[in-house]
Amino acid sequence: MQATPQEYQFHQRLRARGDPIAFAELAEWLYDALVQDVSKRAGYQADPILVEEAVGQALLDYHDKPEGYDPGRMSLLGYLVMSAYRDFQNAFAREQRVQAHQVSLFDLALQEDEGAGSLENLDDQLQIEELWAVIDEMFPDPVERGIVELIIHHVHAPEPYIHLLHLDELPSNEQIRLAKLAQYRIARRLRRNLTRWLTRTGEEAQ
Amino acid sequence: MKHYKPSLDRLAQLAQERPNLLAGPLQLYKEQEGLDDQQLATVLGCELEAIPRLALCERPRPAPHFREDVEHIAAYIHADMLQLAMVIRAAESREALSHRYEAARPTLLAARDQDESEEPQAPDIAASEYESSDGSSR
Repeated sequence: MQATPQEYQFHQRLRARGDPIAFAELAEWLYDALVQDVSKRAGYQADPILVEEAVGQALLDYHDKPEGYDPGRMSLLGYLVMSAYRDFQNAFAREQRVQAHQVSLFDLALQEDEGAGSLENLDDQLQIEELWAVIDEMFPDPVERGIVELIIHHVHAPEPYIHLLHLDELPSNEQIRLAKLAQYRIARRLRRNLTRWLTRTGEEAQ
Repeated sequence: MKHYKPSLDRLAQLAQERPNLLAGPLQLYKEQEGLDDQQLATVLGCELEAIPRLALCERPRPAPHFREDVEHIAAYIHADMLQLAMVIRAAESREALSHRYEAARPTLLAARDQDESEEPQAPDIAASEYESSDGSSR
């Protein structure tokens, strides 16, 4: 299916450059539908943050290079879903690799916190210490550091985040919106920095 | 964290890395002014929901298009045109200053290293402690 007339119009506006609101309007129009379609493809168990990140990347890549899309070949929505889903799959595979490593490190770190005894593997212990040092460096702000700890301890309820962020005075929908946004931002920074760190330590170990 | 709902806020966050969009300079402006989205919306005379849409707009082109582009953006987010022009100008100046500062940083650090190297030499043990506190051996 080719681009719809509305998609074609957006495409022309983006290609022409110089229309300051074309991309914002396109995003406003397609974002929810894209997230929904990519979530459906990825399965409803998929991490919604990863899905949204993939959709965001696909939209921004299209913004940067609209000429990569041929409106005569397929619809813009289809093109962006395809591109976002590909990004999602890559991110998911990367995430799986990182998590496999990360979970074992955090589990060891938590055991250590609970005084479960010395770790047999010195390399792991050194890596955990290094990991927390890296986290300390990444998040010097005590509030952000507190959110990191909630994320690491898999706290899903919004209340601890709201409390930590001092949002208690705000209306409850605003509390939840800001708490989710903060959690999203910090989880994203954490994931990105840890991926970088784990990749670097992996390369050094080889 | 149930009731997950897609949000343009997240796209606006990703867009901060795109130099052609307003997301980056606006974020810097908010950080430096200590404003949250609600306060920025009040300054601009628009709804809170308009802020991520503003972040996804292209930066206005320089004169002679600047006014035309700002008018276009202001109409899109239903904001006060003059306030928007002032915020965009301020955001871009701050960004330019911060880039200049970043560019000057290696020189400043080099100058500091130079000063340190001119200090009397510390005993070996102190030098190794300095290395570890500097993070290089962590």
